[in-house]
Amino acid sequence: MTNQYYEFFCPVKVIAGKAALEHIPYELTGLGAGRPMIVTDKGVRAAGLLDPVIAACEESGLEIISIYDDVPPDSSTGVVKDIAGIYRREKCDSLIAVGGGSAIDTAKAVNVLVSEGGDNIAEYSGAGTIKHPLKPFLVVPTTAGTGSEVTSVAVITDTAKSVKLPFSSSFLLPNAAVIDPRMTLTLPPHITAATAMDAMTHATEAFTCMAKNPLSDAYATAAIKKISTSLLEVMDNPKDSDNRLELAQASTMAGIAFSNSMVGLVHALGHATGAICHLPHGMCMSLYLPYVLEYNLETIRAPLGELLLYLEGPEVYAATPASRRAEASISAIRKLRDELFKRCRLPRTLKETGSVEEHQLDTIAEMAMDDGSVMFNPKEVTLEDARAVLRRAWA
Amino acid sequence: MLAKRIQPMAFQARRLYVELMFQVMGRALQAISEVDASARREARGLPEGFLFEMMVMPDGSRLIVEHVGDGRFHYHGNSAPRPVDLSIRFKHIAHAFLVMSFQEKTSVAFANDRMLVDGDIGYAVRMTRILNRLESFILPRVVAERAVKEYPSNLRLPEKLLSAARIYLKVASNFIETVRA
Repeated sequence: MTNQYYEFFCPVKVIAGKAALEHIPYELTGLGAGRPMIVTDKGVRAAGLLDPVIAACEESGLEIISIYDDVPPDSSTGVVKDIAGIYRREKCDSLIAVGGGSAIDTAKAVNVLVSEGGDNIAEYSGAGTIKHPLKPFLVVPTTAGTGSEVTSVAVITDTAKSVKLPFSSSFLLPNAAVIDPRMTLTLPPHITAATAMDAMTHATEAFTCMAKNPLSDAYATAAIKKISTSLLEVMDNPKDSDNRLELAQASTMAGIAFSNSMVGLVHALGHATGAICHLPHGMCMSLYLPYVLEYNLETIRAPLGELLLYLEGPEVYAATPASRRAEASISAIRKLRDELFKRCRLPRTLKETGSVEEHQLDTIAEMAMDDGSVMFNPKEVTLEDARAVLRRAWA
Repeated sequence: MLAKRIQPMAFQARRLYVELMFQVMGRALQAISEVDASARREARGLPEGFLFEMMVMPDGSRLIVEHVGDGRFHYHGNSAPRPVDLSIRFKHIAHAFLVMSFQEKTSVAFANDRMLVDGDIGYAVRMTRILNRLESFILPRVVAERAVKEYPSNLRLPEKLLSAARIYLKVASNFIETVRA
């Protein structure tokens, strides 16, 4: 009998497509909520992305009680406390996060405080500390990459101690993720590319790392196919709402995949690089993906070869000998990165970022070795291995 | 019928085996920190006084070791002198048995959600590396390959045998001291 075993969990209702935002009032009412608070950032507000959300609610007679639009890119315990204070003062009863990873993580943390009580979110960090369902919570992603709308984790910076606090609980998951193509239509090209490559990495690592399972595989492959088909279309025609929706759905599907099968060395290196060199997460993912796949190649040859079907389509897959498909998958990812570099200068090497110094590679490698993702990488990673991958990614 | 009669005994044997393995692992962690420089180097990344627990939920076998400084561990048995800093918990005795009987690698058990980590995940990764190194030393290669993700290619037989002998000697001495006490 096989020892195979897996768990798969995603209770988030996905509301996707044309006029999806207009479902928000119905969803909130169904959850017994009528006094929502919006958590977002200044960029989202300035881009006018709140307007259709507010209009959709007001048209159905649902008043937005409060809007907090000052979430910083790296949210902190202080911000969470402030928002929770406003929520309580205004007697809100539900949350709507509108934004990218930071706004969504912040809203998840606020939901913990306003549901479980207290002012110090640090008390709830770690796994298993949240014991009860939280307040009604909807997420409207405005980037197509993080997948935070379907993950049960959040990261908040403890400014007093200068550490990042992880939170992990299935109760953090929102009741619904609302994916509307209007929300990503105005994303600038370099953010579109970086976030889509973030989703591509989530799906690729979900499909090739240790906790892969049949259900996460299905989401991962579907996500890869959508990104491969739609990303360059969107780069060439940013107002293409159909392909924008495809990317947004791919991001959510990749999020469902990796939150159930975890990620590996690309993320470990990316987290460390982001922390040390302050590079955007999606850029790091795009940068490291082929180098890590090459490092893992002999351990993941079979699944990586399978991905060629979703990366390049059936003709290329059929024309490529089975023994060469894994390498061809890496080539396909490299080709996609080259196209993105041509269109928006998304860096392919650490040197191209202009933000990383060669002497920082050792520090990045050391930090990556303590990242939880390294545990799920299919191949054992030593410090020397991590350094070698970084050297290859340098230039 | 016979199977039903045997089942309680099998469960009891499984519990005793896991309990024994926890006692060996706890003592062996202390021993490897005394004989292996690489394990000590890894352990130095943990704060002094750091308490690590591995246990079976809800209230089964447990081992507790403390980083007493300079990469050295002290085995506390199954009771902690204060709240632990990092706890790795098997969800069920059956899952602990799979790992302790080398039917499932520790890394696979993590991937399969057999265990929960409560505490800093970075420290959990570090402790897993130390446990892997320990298993590579003290188990015959054919068994160790079933226990760790990748058997270290640079671990030569003389080093392995010498280190394993020293670790087992220290584990045995510790057992004897415990019995005498």
